[in-house]
Amino acid sequence: MRFFDKQNKEIPEGRVEAVDKVTGSGKFAAEYKVDNLCYGVLVDSTIPSGSIRNIDLTKAKQVKGVVGIVTHLQKPNVPGFATEDLIKQSRFGLPIFHTDKIHFKGQPIALVIAETLEDATYAATLVEVEYNTGGFQVDFDAAHPKIPLREAGKERGQIDSWSNAPYVMEAEYNIKSEVHNPMEMHATIAEWTSDRHLKLHDKTQGVNNVQQVIAPLFNLQKENIEVVSEFVGGGFGSGLRVWPHVLATVMAAKHVNRPVKVMLTRPQMFTGTGYRPASWQKIKLGADASGKFLGIHHQAKNETSLYERFSDQITRVTRLIYNFDNLKTEDALVPLNLSAATWMRGPGDCTGDFAIECAIDELSYKLKIDPVALRTKNIAATHHPDNKLPWSSNYLLECINEGAKRIGWNDRNPIPNAMKDGDWQIGYGMSVGMWNAGRNKTSAAIKMVRDGRIIVQTAMTDIGTGTGTGMKNIAHEMTGIPQDKITVELGNSNLPPAPSQGGSTGMSSVSGAVVDASNALKLKLAEYAALININFKNISPDDIHLSEKGISLKKNLDETVTYADLWEKNKLDSVVVEATSGPGEERKKYAFCSSAAHFCQVRVNVKTGKVKIEKLVCVADGGTIVNEKAAANQMSGAAVGGIGMALMEEKLLDAKLGGLIGDDLAGYHFPVNADAPIIDVSFISKPDPHINPTGAKGLGEVGIIGTAAAIANAIYHATGKRLRNLPITPDKVLG
Amino acid sequence: MKPFDLIKTTDPKHALLQKKEQVQYIAGGTNLVDLMKKNIQVPDTLLDVTEALGHRIDKQGKAVQIGAMARNTTVATDAMILRDFPLIAKAVLAGASPQIRNMASTAGNLLQRTRCPYFYDVTTACNKRKPGSGCSAYEGQNRMSAVVGYSTDCVAVHPSDLCVGLAALDAEVHVFGKDQKKSVIPFEEFHRLPGNTPHLDNNLPEHALITSIEIPENPFDKNCAYLKVRDRDSYSFALVSVAAALHLDGDRIIDARLASGGVAHKPWRWRDAEQFLRGKSATAATFGEAARLIVGDLKPLTHNGFKIDMLKGAVETALGQCLHV
Amino acid sequence: MKKGEKLSRRFFLKTTGALTLLAAIPASLKSAYKQVKNFIVTEKKMAPLTVSVNKKAYALDADTRTTLLDLLRENLSLTGTKKGCDHGQCGACTVHVDGERVLSCLTLSAMVGGKEVTTIEGIANGDQLHPMQEAFIVCDGFQCGYCTPGQIMSAIACVKEGHTNSVAEIKEHMSGNLCRCGAYNGIVESIQKVATT
Repeated sequence: MRFFDKQNKEIPEGRVEAVDKVTGSGKFAAEYKVDNLCYGVLVDSTIPSGSIRNIDLTKAKQVKGVVGIVTHLQKPNVPGFATEDLIKQSRFGLPIFHTDKIHFKGQPIALVIAETLEDATYAATLVEVEYNTGGFQVDFDAAHPKIPLREAGKERGQIDSWSNAPYVMEAEYNIKSEVHNPMEMHATIAEWTSDRHLKLHDKTQGVNNVQQVIAPLFNLQKENIEVVSEFVGGGFGSGLRVWPHVLATVMAAKHVNRPVKVMLTRPQMFTGTGYRPASWQKIKLGADASGKFLGIHHQAKNETSLYERFSDQITRVTRLIYNFDNLKTEDALVPLNLSAATWMRGPGDCTGDFAIECAIDELSYKLKIDPVALRTKNIAATHHPDNKLPWSSNYLLECINEGAKRIGWNDRNPIPNAMKDGDWQIGYGMSVGMWNAGRNKTSAAIKMVRDGRIIVQTAMTDIGTGTGTGMKNIAHEMTGIPQDKITVELGNSNLPPAPSQGGSTGMSSVSGAVVDASNALKLKLAEYAALININFKNISPDDIHLSEKGISLKKNLDETVTYADLWEKNKLDSVVVEATSGPGEERKKYAFCSSAAHFCQVRVNVKTGKVKIEKLVCVADGGTIVNEKAAANQMSGAAVGGIGMALMEEKLLDAKLGGLIGDDLAGYHFPVNADAPIIDVSFISKPDPHINPTGAKGLGEVGIIGTAAAIANAIYHATGKRLRNLPITPDKVLG
Repeated sequence: MKPFDLIKTTDPKHALLQKKEQVQYIAGGTNLVDLMKKNIQVPDTLLDVTEALGHRIDKQGKAVQIGAMARNTTVATDAMILRDFPLIAKAVLAGASPQIRNMASTAGNLLQRTRCPYFYDVTTACNKRKPGSGCSAYEGQNRMSAVVGYSTDCVAVHPSDLCVGLAALDAEVHVFGKDQKKSVIPFEEFHRLPGNTPHLDNNLPEHALITSIEIPENPFDKNCAYLKVRDRDSYSFALVSVAAALHLDGDRIIDARLASGGVAHKPWRWRDAEQFLRGKSATAATFGEAARLIVGDLKPLTHNGFKIDMLKGAVETALGQCLHV
Repeated sequence: MKKGEKLSRRFFLKTTGALTLLAAIPASLKSAYKQVKNFIVTEKKMAPLTVSVNKKAYALDADTRTTLLDLLRENLSLTGTKKGCDHGQCGACTVHVDGERVLSCLTLSAMVGGKEVTTIEGIANGDQLHPMQEAFIVCDGFQCGYCTPGQIMSAIACVKEGHTNSVAEIKEHMSGNLCRCGAYNGIVESIQKVATT
């Protein structure tokens, strides 16, 4: 029997952690009560480039309650940063408090630690810094033309063979930098429980990753670092790295020999935890008169910091969705006086897909072929176009058909700038998105206690994705144990190891582990039961049903050994099983993808430039949907993120001053409730036969990959204006 | 935040006696606390006047008197305001969020400081924050900045929506001075243009308290609109906003009021356009001409040239909306 | 130029210069130095505060700078109220003061003396969740859960204020509460559910 191929009435109405979240009792990183805790506040550089000449702490130290200040001159020993070579080898990124160099405005240069948050915050304003200032460049648009492109991946076919194709579309696309801005600002509580033991409450998407990064810096065994991240207030990629403030907090705790808590300020979230880098792209796309794509040339550049190079891999998605016999991809990095960029929801693909999907849309109008038909004709539906492996499953065409139906695609007037309602122009647009569906090795444990309850455990975090709920659903489905007898523990490095929650791999990865652990539990209990009833000897997990009371044979549920008997006979209090599951040989035979089709109806005001999203339809192929409500929530949330990307999100810089401007939630707009319509989400909901035992593929990324293009394409259809630079703010619509 | 004393007073006279340099009145706190957290305002003492000032909304003859402490929400939901001064309610509801409107006082709304990002960033030059340091926005990121009435010393805009409505309806600011004397400042004279003293937002006498706002009787209760164009649909500051009000006799315009936010250091009245509208028939063509008159006055900066077309469109739209209420 | 609030800044800078000079002066003048030092770094002001939170009375000495948000989170261990921006730009810190929704990050705790503060911890009736909490669970009105307490406090007020006549009205009156996960579908549905029962 496959997973979830039947409607399961027993799935409870809410998430496993729902009560903790709606009552506020769930603890996020900064909310744990720790004895003797003091507060750290970071001081940031006020210049974009140069070096620190002097830091005067006299006044800051006069503030009563200040217990210490860490700077590059006064700091505890970090063995992993002892030499320049070690710093390089650590690949940590910014060597916080181990350099006098300033690489960007907002770089943390001191950490003031005090008894109260108020004291620390005030004292931090009294730290006086003198700098030697250096030259700088923060203007991506000005800098990128000077940076040459280089080949990104293998060329397919020949670019010359199609450059004179009858239909060629060539255009440039620019997307401003976006910032993750999860609602919870990153925070860390660091506590040295002994010289060799560290406990961290940290906002992260991966507790094991934090162990692995911090351990070598202090010559600790990673098992000696306990990382707790039970509730994570959003990540979107910002929690996939261990950022400088985490190390700063650990250093501070060592420096003052007390537990220290640091919560970043909102402006520090703009420079301290990554961002989606600004990008430039150029697409040349050719087709014959029938609409068959002949070739694509995709060039892309993204900004990066001076102290580490981050490639967003914008052209990766170009090799994924469509059949292009001829394909050339090039990219380049543009180093600027900015903090480090990182993966942000739908990293790279979200950016690349915007350009491709807008170009295809534009080509469709040139060809006078319906945008849906043009895509359908060219989608690589059977094989991965790059490695030629057959798709394990790819229902993108079904997504498109369903989406078109839901929005009423065929009822629209296909001619641009033709539908009007007073000052409002009405338009429809669509696009598709795809993401390589991954899976990583993950462990899970199940502990059964005396009364028959089970606790399903993994170190993986749940950043709002519904991981814990999915684990519970799977454990129930696998074992038969009622949902209300199952609890979940996660987000703690003492639990069975798991990769970070990211890249839409969480559910795909952990589900296999929970399935294996469930089977292991059944077998273990059967082993004990066999000592009471011989019929339980040498049976397969599929033959076993676990109930509230005991273990039974599926074919004869009356044949039961109660847990009470089982514990007594075997002199046990509990049973613990652990299983590890990961990708295998199937990865050599098949290609894996999640995909989605996005359809959008907009109204555009000709007088004010206001764009109003009237309808947004998202149909996704994410394989088996383990928990429909949580999955749909994630998809609609991603669509809201797509609205932000399309219409408003922009990290603003002042090129002359070399720093950010409006670096807060009033200056940086992401959608409020009123900006989004009720998003229409649906799923194809067919299991992927090979990806993992549940057939669930990831969803987090494909919800946003393509949304912005669907909106931009709808704006074109409404107005006849092709806007290729994001965000499309009202001024651009009017311009 | 720098440490400060907090004193509560229930008597405006007492408040005035205590007020001096480095003593700052606090009411709703929605702007001041923010500015203190940013080290932009660093008072030694806060004087809590929330219980020293009136919060009632009273009819005074045909005019309305809004107490200084009337919260924004109270103003926007008051039955008499909704009936006789609906433009004010519309303007208030276009600003901030429900939570902030519950906190913010009427007087505080007038006294709120600009949201220019450079004013908010103490690492940059700003004549309003630090006189003589320069204006970073003039040739910087000035997409949100002024298009009229600015100087090279300051291109900041006043952030209030309520004030745009008050300017349109010729409100008056009632003031209680340090000398314990009452006085009245016409709304249009209340806020200042930046000139070479952009650190002065308004003409409220030093240490004085605003006690109430009076809006005179007006015939604009039937046909009025407040339109705010912004980067998102709610909870953001205006790119441009328009308060429009018409007094109609059939389709003939007897009188008109037009004011804008997001365009200048103070709420901006479009008197030429108002004059133009008087006596004309209320048609799209008339509104279009009025809008053209308005944008003739604008001198955009490097990044806000779009405000010409946007304001033109917003004025036309707002005037049009006056007919559909 | 008229002297306004900037006086202190200038005075501050002058005093700073004086300190630099004084620092080099022999110990005999230390008392003078001390006076200047005391003047420059203002000592924090503690003031007695009596406040009722979730119908429980608290009497404590609070730093005048402490916001209601930090009082709840750092002093009273009521961490259900969230800090999402600390500047009135996100709504995560929404609580009720005397029954009205306000932002606790822009509220000085010293100014809520004698008032009734209600936080997310105070809306359930024992184990019985508030209907809005139940609705958020059933309608899945959250993902990461960080903005959720603020959303729920705001949602309760939204219903009480009567702003639930249409999806558009709910959306407008809930736009002071940002949700980066974008769980707006479920938030609107939760409010509709409570408003219609």
